[in-house]
Amino acid sequence: MTGQSLPLLATLGWRNLWRHPRRTLVILFAIVLGVWFMIFSAALMIGIVEQQLQDTIFNLTGHAQIHNPKFRDDPAIEHSMPAPNQALLEVLNSRDVVQWSARVRLPAVAMSVRESRGVMLVGIDPQRERGLSFIGEPVVEGRALESISDNGIIIGRRMAEKLETRIGQRIVIMSQDRDKEVADRGFRIVGLFQAELEATETAYVFAGLATTQKLLGMGSDISEISLVTNSREGLDPLVARLSNAAPELESMSWQELEPLVVTAMEFYEAFMVYWYLIIFAAMGIGLTNTMLMSVFERTREIGLFQALGMRPRFIVGQVLMETLILLVIGITIGNLAGWLTTDVLLASGIDLSAFAQGTEQFNMASTMYLTLRPNDLLQINALVIALGLLASLYPAVKAARYVPVEAITRT
Amino acid sequence: MSTVSLRKVCKTFGEGELAVHALRDIDMDIGKGDFVCLSGPSGSGKTTLLNMVGGLDRATSGEIIVADQRVDQMDKGQLAEMRLTTIGFIFQAYNLIPVLTARENVEFVMQLQGIPADVRHRKSREILEEVGLSGLDDRKPAELSGGQQQRVAVARALVSEPALILADEPTANLDSVTAENLMDLLRHLNDEHGITFVISTHDKLVMSHARRLLKMHDGKIIDDIQQR
Amino acid sequence: MGTVLRLAWRNLWRNRRRTWLTAGAIAFSTILLVGWVPIQFGAYDIMINATLRVFPGHAQVQRPGYQGKPKIRNAIDDAETLANSLRNGSKHFTGVAVRAQGFVLLSSGSRSYGAQIVGVEPEYEGDTSSIPGLIKEGRYLSSIDAQELVIGSALARNLKLKVGDEVTLLGGGKDGSVAAAILPVVGIFDSGSRELDRFFSEIPLHTFQDIFTMGDSAHTITIMGKSVEDQAQLLTALNDAIRDRGDVVVLGWEELVPGMKEAIQIDKVSGFIFLGILIAIVVFSILNTFLMSILERTREFGLMLALGSRPKRIAGLMMLESALLTLIGLSIGFIIGTALVYWAHVSGIQFPGAEDIMEQFNMPEMGRIYPQMKLFNFLLGPITIFVATNLAAWVPILRIRKLEPIEAMRTI
Repeated sequence: MTGQSLPLLATLGWRNLWRHPRRTLVILFAIVLGVWFMIFSAALMIGIVEQQLQDTIFNLTGHAQIHNPKFRDDPAIEHSMPAPNQALLEVLNSRDVVQWSARVRLPAVAMSVRESRGVMLVGIDPQRERGLSFIGEPVVEGRALESISDNGIIIGRRMAEKLETRIGQRIVIMSQDRDKEVADRGFRIVGLFQAELEATETAYVFAGLATTQKLLGMGSDISEISLVTNSREGLDPLVARLSNAAPELESMSWQELEPLVVTAMEFYEAFMVYWYLIIFAAMGIGLTNTMLMSVFERTREIGLFQALGMRPRFIVGQVLMETLILLVIGITIGNLAGWLTTDVLLASGIDLSAFAQGTEQFNMASTMYLTLRPNDLLQINALVIALGLLASLYPAVKAARYVPVEAITRT
Repeated sequence: MSTVSLRKVCKTFGEGELAVHALRDIDMDIGKGDFVCLSGPSGSGKTTLLNMVGGLDRATSGEIIVADQRVDQMDKGQLAEMRLTTIGFIFQAYNLIPVLTARENVEFVMQLQGIPADVRHRKSREILEEVGLSGLDDRKPAELSGGQQQRVAVARALVSEPALILADEPTANLDSVTAENLMDLLRHLNDEHGITFVISTHDKLVMSHARRLLKMHDGKIIDDIQQR
Repeated sequence: MGTVLRLAWRNLWRNRRRTWLTAGAIAFSTILLVGWVPIQFGAYDIMINATLRVFPGHAQVQRPGYQGKPKIRNAIDDAETLANSLRNGSKHFTGVAVRAQGFVLLSSGSRSYGAQIVGVEPEYEGDTSSIPGLIKEGRYLSSIDAQELVIGSALARNLKLKVGDEVTLLGGGKDGSVAAAILPVVGIFDSGSRELDRFFSEIPLHTFQDIFTMGDSAHTITIMGKSVEDQAQLLTALNDAIRDRGDVVVLGWEELVPGMKEAIQIDKVSGFIFLGILIAIVVFSILNTFLMSILERTREFGLMLALGSRPKRIAGLMMLESALLTLIGLSIGFIIGTALVYWAHVSGIQFPGAEDIMEQFNMPEMGRIYPQMKLFNFLLGPITIFVATNLAAWVPILRIRKLEPIEAMRTI
């Protein structure tokens, strides 16, 4: 029976919608606006967290890290780790790992002629950092480090301003070596790097790995190994293999290294559902109202349906079908508008550079990128349809409850 | 064996002092193929009686049997089912679904019954021809005259081959010529297809076409006349 | 007027369901708005107060150029005298404290870290900073010339320091000489601000001046005012008070923490945009109700016109009806909304996980929000809705004026 009735309900639904074109267009507009808004706000919020996530990973964290179990709590020289052994190298050089690199990363003091600042001294292998972290990117002035034995140092552009120095000048790096003695050395500034946040530019100074190891008397020891793989997700098997290869060391994925970002993502995703509900409530009332009116003015017609033998649940079905058609049209247009806004119109992000200091306060970049994930689209669409049908359930059931004899004789 | 049997059927609207006894102890039998008219002034209960038989309203007490089924004991779903398969309706006005064409209106019940499209199309074409409306298939009710609308209603009532067709003052909004034509059609269909007709009216023209006339007054059947 | 009002009112109740549904929609959006604005602004207040209260204060007196380039040489002479004169100078100042700052290398037995060291007046520092009250272990500094040091919790942990341990300071003095000292740790503070806990330590002012050869000079005088709203008057009073000294300038918190004002700006603008869109959705949602109610009564209007009513009167009646309808929704929404806000004001709103997020944003206090109870905030939302809804309602109403009586009555 349903096989033949469905097209009938669809026909009735469609034609009923266009009995009052203006009314249908008005509620359609509300739906389109609502759906578009859901998509836009989702893309905005996820974009913010996504940005943070990517920045965190690119900002020396990587997808996973290996270090001495005590290093995380207390990043000091006595919590260094040895260079990777054979077993570890095998895992690191396997296909899963796209790029990896060893680093020294220890607190130090940078002193120019005029100023001193506390910094993180990072000894890197410049070749290997490419594609791994932000220091693998080209420098904005001067040259990058060329090898692990490079004698130069790279500092942030805004750091140079704070230290009142520039390329070509020397700064002294002072830190603690293995024997708890002060170790210091002069470095010539060969390049300046640029990062989105001022905090990043003033936190790190980069020197060659071997140079740093020599300065601090570390031999071949390092502070950490950082690596990236093909995907941000599903890192557990790899981390397990790393742990097995070096059980005395600690291997962690980025989620364990930076739980805050993970929490932020979860928070936003949960928040978004509530936000969707609010937006839906705004347009849902209009939907219920419109369908109610539609049902009310068709009382006689519905009485006729009943007289002709249409069962109550088909009457419900007819009203729901009408709503469904309305929702599908609204969603389609809303999705299109949403996609256009996020992926075409604002593909290069929202420019907040006028408020650069404000975004710095939030640890955010000054350009907000919108990220639209297929999952979010799915969630929004499913929600709107489900809730929309729910909203029209009241009018639908009401229609089915009409007493035929009263309905028909209604003027 | 009767198509319709009523035993001691009563219908009361309202309570206490305001109670209106629309039907009082109605006993009635209508046989297969009968062409019956319920006549009487307004308030005599003929429409109420029709509604009882058609399952559009419930009796306060009494038995109603249509095509061997106890209508008074059916639930909403069963009533709907009965109206779909066993009974056809023609109302005084507002018979057609405004957004559907004449042909779609005729096919409406068939679609609900699950009859496949090709069969539906064939039958609807035949029926529309039989009632004299071929060529007007694709017009919406708003584009048809009063008489044409009623013919579409007749076609629809007929096409699902019901046991019984109930018509409530079908000629009330028509001029006399159109009314005459409509009644001729109904008699013709009754003769051709043997479908039972029960028609309520206070129009003498309609009454003159009936084979059997049931006169009603104040909720009771006061006369049962066999004509022609 | 009374009759028209009564007529309008009764008309509303002819179709109770529609009236309630529309009023409901309006009430819903009113609740939303009534709640939103106070919460949003309440959050800003918290943000500002929380940040300023910890260390920066509402304003600071400094040497010109110090804020941009904090050099130890750029110091205010005779700082304490100036501070004293400010202290009793105006009722707008609730706290005045002198500070001297410099960068040093702190070394414990096993570690060294670069840190910011601040010389403070223990007696007055608590008026302008919450740090003295946030001592987790040990105690705060006792007197202005004691040989003591308090340190941030993260810094203490990194240096592996406990209360009672000694720590070495190494830095550069005002005259270019080496500044060095060994001081015992008497207290460890936990301010909740990552930056302060990781990079700050405090010692008594005179001790600082001694070590760094400052004489009687210092770098900033921090002023705490009554509230953020009082800022303008605070600044005026402050500028007045320092007029006699041509060698210092006044900086308000907006210059001390520039990012915050912009951050708030961004949030405000985006908040308004979001709200605006939401209102638009609601308005379109209920537009149909108004549309249809006018349409349905076309016959009735035709009758009224035939009986001699003027189109303008009918239109006026309709406008009155929609105004009344809106008011019903607004009132309900307003009452519920304010009740909710008040309840939140008293108990604070907490989002699970929010505290962690806010920690990341350097604002751990925002895990809990206390909405701001100011009348303007409450009314802004409802007024907007009132205007928007009625404007929308007028679209179909204005067409009434063009109705022809007979045509209208013929409408089904």
